[in-house]
Amino acid sequence: MKHALYAGVATFALMTGAVQAQEGLLHAVGEGSFDWDGFQAFGETHDLTGESLTIFGPWLASEGKSFENLVAYFDDATGANSSYVGSDSLEQQILIDAAAGSAPNLTVFPQPGLAANMAKNGYLTPLADGSADWIKDNFAAGQSWVDLGTFQNAEGTGAFYGFFFNVNVKSLVWYIPENFEDFGYEVPETMEELKALMDQMVADGETPLCVGLASGGATGWPATDWVEDLMLRTQPPEVYDAWISNEMSFDDPRVVAAIEEYGSFTRNDDYVVGNADDTAAIDFRDSPKGLFDSPPACMMHRQASFIPAYFPEGTELGADADFFYFPAYVEKDLGTPVLGAGTLFTVTNPNPAAEAFMEFLKTPFAHEIMMSQDGFLTPHLGANPDNYANDTQRGQGEILTNATTFRFDGSDLMPGAVGAGTFWTGMVDYSSGAKDAATVASEIQSSWDAAK
Amino acid sequence: MSDIAGTKPALRWVVHASVLFLVVLWVVPTLGLLISSFRTADQISSSGWWRSLFPSEQNLTLRSAAPETQVLQNGMYVIEGKLFDENQKATISRWGISSRDVTAFVPDEVAELRRGGTITVSADGDYRMENAEEFTGKRGVRIFVTAELPSEFTFDNYHKVLLDQSSTDSMGKAFFNTLTVTIPATIIPILVAAFAAYALAWMDFPGRALLIAAVVGLLVVPLQLALIPLLKFHLSIGIGKGYLGVWLAHTGFGMPLAIYLLRNYMAGLPRDLIENARVDGATEFQIFTKLILPLSFPALASFAIFQFLWTWNDLLVAKVFLIDATGQTTVMTNRIVELLGTRGGNWEILATAAFVSIFVPLVVFFAMQKYLVRGLLAGSVK
Repeated sequence: MKHALYAGVATFALMTGAVQAQEGLLHAVGEGSFDWDGFQAFGETHDLTGESLTIFGPWLASEGKSFENLVAYFDDATGANSSYVGSDSLEQQILIDAAAGSAPNLTVFPQPGLAANMAKNGYLTPLADGSADWIKDNFAAGQSWVDLGTFQNAEGTGAFYGFFFNVNVKSLVWYIPENFEDFGYEVPETMEELKALMDQMVADGETPLCVGLASGGATGWPATDWVEDLMLRTQPPEVYDAWISNEMSFDDPRVVAAIEEYGSFTRNDDYVVGNADDTAAIDFRDSPKGLFDSPPACMMHRQASFIPAYFPEGTELGADADFFYFPAYVEKDLGTPVLGAGTLFTVTNPNPAAEAFMEFLKTPFAHEIMMSQDGFLTPHLGANPDNYANDTQRGQGEILTNATTFRFDGSDLMPGAVGAGTFWTGMVDYSSGAKDAATVASEIQSSWDAAK
Repeated sequence: MSDIAGTKPALRWVVHASVLFLVVLWVVPTLGLLISSFRTADQISSSGWWRSLFPSEQNLTLRSAAPETQVLQNGMYVIEGKLFDENQKATISRWGISSRDVTAFVPDEVAELRRGGTITVSADGDYRMENAEEFTGKRGVRIFVTAELPSEFTFDNYHKVLLDQSSTDSMGKAFFNTLTVTIPATIIPILVAAFAAYALAWMDFPGRALLIAAVVGLLVVPLQLALIPLLKFHLSIGIGKGYLGVWLAHTGFGMPLAIYLLRNYMAGLPRDLIENARVDGATEFQIFTKLILPLSFPALASFAIFQFLWTWNDLLVAKVFLIDATGQTTVMTNRIVELLGTRGGNWEILATAAFVSIFVPLVVFFAMQKYLVRGLLAGSVK
């Protein structure tokens, strides 16, 4: 009886496998302004018939689908048989798989901190020689991407492991152009103008900001983005770098000042929707919806480029809702700093297909296909911006390629116990009025000392 | 003999009240989930599920038709249309054309448009825009209405979860994968544990008491301890990640409870019966198959329910021993988590998927529940 069962299972597995195969390509070959020559040239030099490739990443649902569309082109060009699996608990699962020796060929890490740990434990394979130089030459602010993808291996020597792909920009403020028109507001170009605009809104009886910090176990992260963005707007980038590496102590007056600067936006009942003490109880996915209420609950929402996924269904970006760059102070003269984050590809189980896929990611074509779908930005200078799905995305791509200073989300670069722990909880304490900025900062510093 | 409960009406009421309270406590969230599964994402985020049961007054932002639809009537450029669908029975009480004052006008009042022309909206949602000059621009104007809307439900979520063919949203494959995991992972431990339980209950051999103590001791060992060593072991002997591995893992993790439960039940069967059979010359195997198994059916069935529910709902063991990077072996629980989206928040899909996945355990439970209570007492009462 058991044999019959096994046979049944095997047949079933074969059937589902057959059904799964063959999917159409997003755009027919030769259609649109994509770099088809580059695509075909890549296919001619890489024959991977019969090779298989497994990719493990953090993207689910529609984002996972977008990436699968790209993988389909890779298979089409090379004859490889690739599969992508997404998981929301990638951080835990990759540790188990790597420790047990069953890691996928490529792993896409949502942030560099974990990848650095994996490299230290010898689970990652450095990228092909010359990859770092290629990034330096072909990415906007290339050196900063190389630095972010370079980790120490088990012997303590640095090597280039991580290829950044799918970047998001955090320094954005979302608003409804028609609401601004109704009230006669202008999009602010400087931080001074933004603050004046907020006071104007309060005078008009409106609420300037929707703020929501709740995110399940990660509650507080939107506030860390605020503080990082304001750090870049109040201090030079060198101070930011010293801060995230803890060369400068977390309770330094400059950090406390940045936290208090964040408080000047959100610790004020006039400026935020509801009670200023309650921002940590509002889900960050629900908070932008206040923009679309009738009458509008708030006028602006500072959040990263991915947030339109949580706008009401049918919202047309650029018309129904738009963004402006979270401006910098004129008086501080720090240029146009941009805060961002991104996912990075690493090789966790090398094979020829994995190497070829990393080469594929260098082609402008791979970036262009992703650009033509929602929510993807790239610093690749060779990719044609015409291929962005819409003007909003193109505008964000330009912010990324024009930034005078690009800095990566600092909390992702701090040790996990701080950047994904006490920094979050500390910001919740501060945002709910339980503790003042100096207390929070010194508590975070002592947790950092303990994590060393 | 008088009715014991009847002598204490106060106590009976307390019992009834607490039962009612517990039932409400369990049913309300489930009902909320069920109702949410018939609502759209925007509805879920804008109002609670309890409000969706009745018509409610809502503030909506709607948009008139684009200027390209205008027609020339008696020298006036006119745009006409309806704000609501034919089958939507809405009644507008107030409306406005600026986010400054969304309740500025009553129905049939005439408002001046900022870019020239006038607009009027009637209570049933018909609107008419007039202008001496041509309307320009690409989009219609925003019309803010305060309207009484009937409750509205949709089957879209179920359609998306059950019938959508795209690989990211389809549950069908995960459903069959889960069955492939669950059924053997329920049957194998019962087969093994029944033999072991009989031996531990009725066969005399040295060290029996120690073995039983060891099994009871294993009940308190958390399975998380064994995850990585066991996976390493599977990989080293060539099982790898797959169905065989997950069956073995579920069997192992379910075994202490299975043996303990079945042994205690079997030990409670009448000694005379078994000794009579021995005297009549029955072999141990005959006693086991002809006497013990039929008599132990309630305990077997109740353990089957336990094991089935636990393997059906399991995510952890499946993630460690089954789901690999090829994506061919995902299970329902994992698919449900994935449906939440990269940053979470697709609650409407989550609610729907939860109901789809509840369905099979409910069927199993109701088919076998008469054994459950009997089996639950197995081991506790001799």
